[in-house]
Amino acid sequence: MIPLLIPMEGESHWPPGVDSFDSRPLFPELGPDYYWLNNHLAQAVIGAILVIVFWLWVARNQKVVPGKKQFLGEYLYNLLRNSIARDILGHDYRKYLPYLVGLFSFILVNNLFGEFFLFMFPTFSKIGYAYGLALCTFILYNAAGIRKYGFGNYMKRMTLPAGVPLGLAWLIIPLEFISNFIARPFTLALRLFANLFAGHLVIMVFVVGGGMLLTMTEPANGFPVPLLNAAGAVSFIFSFAIFALELLVGALQAYIFTVLTAQYVSSAIAEEH
Amino acid sequence: MSGQGGADQGYRIVSILISGLLVYGGLGWLLDRWLGTSWFMPIGLVLGVALGVYLVVVKFGRSQ
Repeated sequence: MIPLLIPMEGESHWPPGVDSFDSRPLFPELGPDYYWLNNHLAQAVIGAILVIVFWLWVARNQKVVPGKKQFLGEYLYNLLRNSIARDILGHDYRKYLPYLVGLFSFILVNNLFGEFFLFMFPTFSKIGYAYGLALCTFILYNAAGIRKYGFGNYMKRMTLPAGVPLGLAWLIIPLEFISNFIARPFTLALRLFANLFAGHLVIMVFVVGGGMLLTMTEPANGFPVPLLNAAGAVSFIFSFAIFALELLVGALQAYIFTVLTAQYVSSAIAEEH
Repeated sequence: MSGQGGADQGYRIVSILISGLLVYGGLGWLLDRWLGTSWFMPIGLVLGVALGVYLVVVKFGRSQ
């Protein structure tokens, strides 16, 4: 049962650690040139396909009186549109809405991969994928700002907030530059990555460790077998609580990433206030 | 300005405060390494926190 739940884990992989997150090449027989074609890349691509198929499916055959399928799609879409895009971006939210909807559903689906069979691995606990998403957001908010204000004007707005006296400007400019162009994308990526990495590690400790304790047949560290097995059972039961927590964390992180993306775009194109 | 209960603004404020610490603390650390001294980094950290707080006041203090 354990190898089925977490395919990468075996007896030799205890305790679970950073190397439990290593990717496996899909076609090892093709040689190192094709190692980039690994299981985590495949699951990210499958996630993207699922998102595309889902939105195409709910957008097809729209009727004036929505059926169940259309109601579901419109409900999710409205949730994102009203509570994220329109609230934060104001009247020109429409241009950015497709990106925000795609971003949210892609992150959500990939996070849920961590809790469901087949993959049992959240894609964004590999930091490269989180960096990739943050890079997309970075390009989006800077491009939006540069298109609206021109490069020079945009850089001035982003590094020198209105109301700072000139005497302090030389101290504030590097600070704002780092905060807006370096801290933003990195914190965005690291927040997503760290939450999922830590969550998945805890799940592995509970499930793999619980499985090991449950199948113990001889005393270890002076503890009798029944006690070890009971501890394993308790660990399994509690792993369900951790799974529930991870469902929440996955949804929350998808939401936060999307909200902050909208927030960054909004601050890049904001009028003076 | 936003209806998010302030959580998104909170994240932005925290990132400003942290980047103040990192930028000027880091600058002080580099100067210390370069000159072999040991007092630039504490000064940089204090300066960074002060500037971060100041920047938060300038950017968020009056929009309410």
